[in-house]
Amino acid sequence: MSELLPSLSGNVATIALRDAREQLRDRFLFWATLALLAAATASLVTGAIALHGDAATYAAARAQLLALGKDASAIAAPEFYPLKLMRGMIEQIEIMGAVIALVAGYRAAAAERGRQTLALVLTRPMPRWAYSFAKIIGGMGLAAVTLAIVFLATAILLPVVSGVGLTMGDAGRLMLTWAAGVLYLTALFTLGFGLGLWARSPASGLIYAFALWILVVLVAPQIGDTMDPDNQVAGGVFAQLSVPKAEQDRIKAGFAGYESFRNGIEVASVTKHFERFTFAVLGIKDTYTGAPLVKVMAEKQGDLLFLFLFSLGLGGLVLLRPINPDRLTKES
Amino acid sequence: MNIAHETSAAPNGLRDRRPKERTNAMTTALPSVSTSGLGKSYDGAPALHPLTLDVPKGEVFGFLGHNGAGKTTTIRLLTTLLAPTTGTARVAGHDIASDPLRVRAAIGYLPENVRLYDRFTTRENLTFFARLSGVANPADAVDETLDFLDITPLTDRRVGTFSKGMRQRVGLAQAILHRPEVLFLDEPTSGLDPMGVRQLREIVEKLHDRGMTIFMNTHLLSEVARSCTSIGVLAHGRLVFHDSMQAVTDKYDERSLEDLYVGVAERAPQVAA
Repeated sequence: MSELLPSLSGNVATIALRDAREQLRDRFLFWATLALLAAATASLVTGAIALHGDAATYAAARAQLLALGKDASAIAAPEFYPLKLMRGMIEQIEIMGAVIALVAGYRAAAAERGRQTLALVLTRPMPRWAYSFAKIIGGMGLAAVTLAIVFLATAILLPVVSGVGLTMGDAGRLMLTWAAGVLYLTALFTLGFGLGLWARSPASGLIYAFALWILVVLVAPQIGDTMDPDNQVAGGVFAQLSVPKAEQDRIKAGFAGYESFRNGIEVASVTKHFERFTFAVLGIKDTYTGAPLVKVMAEKQGDLLFLFLFSLGLGGLVLLRPINPDRLTKES
Repeated sequence: MNIAHETSAAPNGLRDRRPKERTNAMTTALPSVSTSGLGKSYDGAPALHPLTLDVPKGEVFGFLGHNGAGKTTTIRLLTTLLAPTTGTARVAGHDIASDPLRVRAAIGYLPENVRLYDRFTTRENLTFFARLSGVANPADAVDETLDFLDITPLTDRRVGTFSKGMRQRVGLAQAILHRPEVLFLDEPTSGLDPMGVRQLREIVEKLHDRGMTIFMNTHLLSEVARSCTSIGVLAHGRLVFHDSMQAVTDKYDERSLEDLYVGVAERAPQVAA
């Protein structure tokens, strides 16, 4: 018998690394990464096609003006920010990435229950919470590696499809977005893992997880968007009617209660916070395009904080909730 | 491992079917497992009525009972997987409620139908569990255990390709590779063919010879008769019989163990009432 109890950090690392090896071995990581890469590439290429279309329209108009002997500076060249092409990719992380993270979390719990290895691990000399913590760390590692590959590929692909190189500032924004993505996917992994562990059968846990996914990732943000008066016309009602900012604020003030309610639905969704933060950092939202990162961070720290606290809270819930010994096997 | 069994003299008798060296030599030692009023209820319905039981160090204790009698609940309580509703228990001298980590460090556990990590080899599986148990040199412990169980040829094969019997032996390896003081086996012969049952029995005997205390839930009366040094019978959550195999064979010399088991189990509802 071993006289000394094993180190907690050692056990956490052992479980997390075993999980990582298993994910590599059963190719889940491979397929998850490939799916996100394909989605990212498709969104970048689509964005690039639209960009090249804008550039071609500008070039044609400019050439026409010059041919007519007029001053071409009358029309402004389209501004181009390569990171804006990542809009579709971020949306894919929000939706497809969330599904992958939920399924990965579910699998982390279901596989242990199905193989009865959960009982074996829990009878090892370590606190119960350390097991859940190790699983979440493993999930975070999975999210970090998957997104790192996707973001690295994006960083390589962006200059190729757009014809514009990335600056160091752009790289910094990509890293911030990667970190937010890791937090977001870890939260969803934790949700899938927790429900897979707590439900009477892991399959029921997966169903609960998907019900929450629909609510949090799809329904809440969609309701918020649909209820936004400014979204009722493509390009925005105020923009189309050329309503000045001061007038916009005056009109909105008349709908303060409605706007609070609409915003409340949106901000209940972690996905919306992830989107608001990343869209601002990458300059996808026009308000923040080209804005200094310091200013963006100052304005969007609330979204980042929500993302962090949501992940932390969910993780804490999973760690603190005792593992039900009647849920050690696949069916109970 | 060659332990002679005398089966020819009295094939249906208990005494002669047990290996010669299976004796209660260590019953005077401090108990490895000691429970006092240990009970478990679910929503007020008792799964295990207060159980008071001592299993001395070095014993092979056979825990018999019908399905749902509370045997697995008892093992889950003693392995700290479950928290008791009433009473206390000490395993290897440590209290299961106040010192669960020490208890876990001192025990090995093989649940029924364990499948292990099927994408990993035997060595990878065992190394993982050795590390979690705090074994100082996992590689050596794995090699020694594989050698002890005579399954060295399985070392680098993936567990997912194994038969039930092979998996059970690897499962047993994970339970003993940290040299636990007490080994809990929950229906270890479930689903095994006769050869598998025999191999498992031989392993249990080897472990007993090395002084390990073994607490075994089983349905196989023949295995109890051959391997165990004491038995307990649980019926409807109550311990209705507990004695040494020696005493059993003395008291029930003319009856089979099956008769004994059926007899106490049938009386159990009256006891419970």
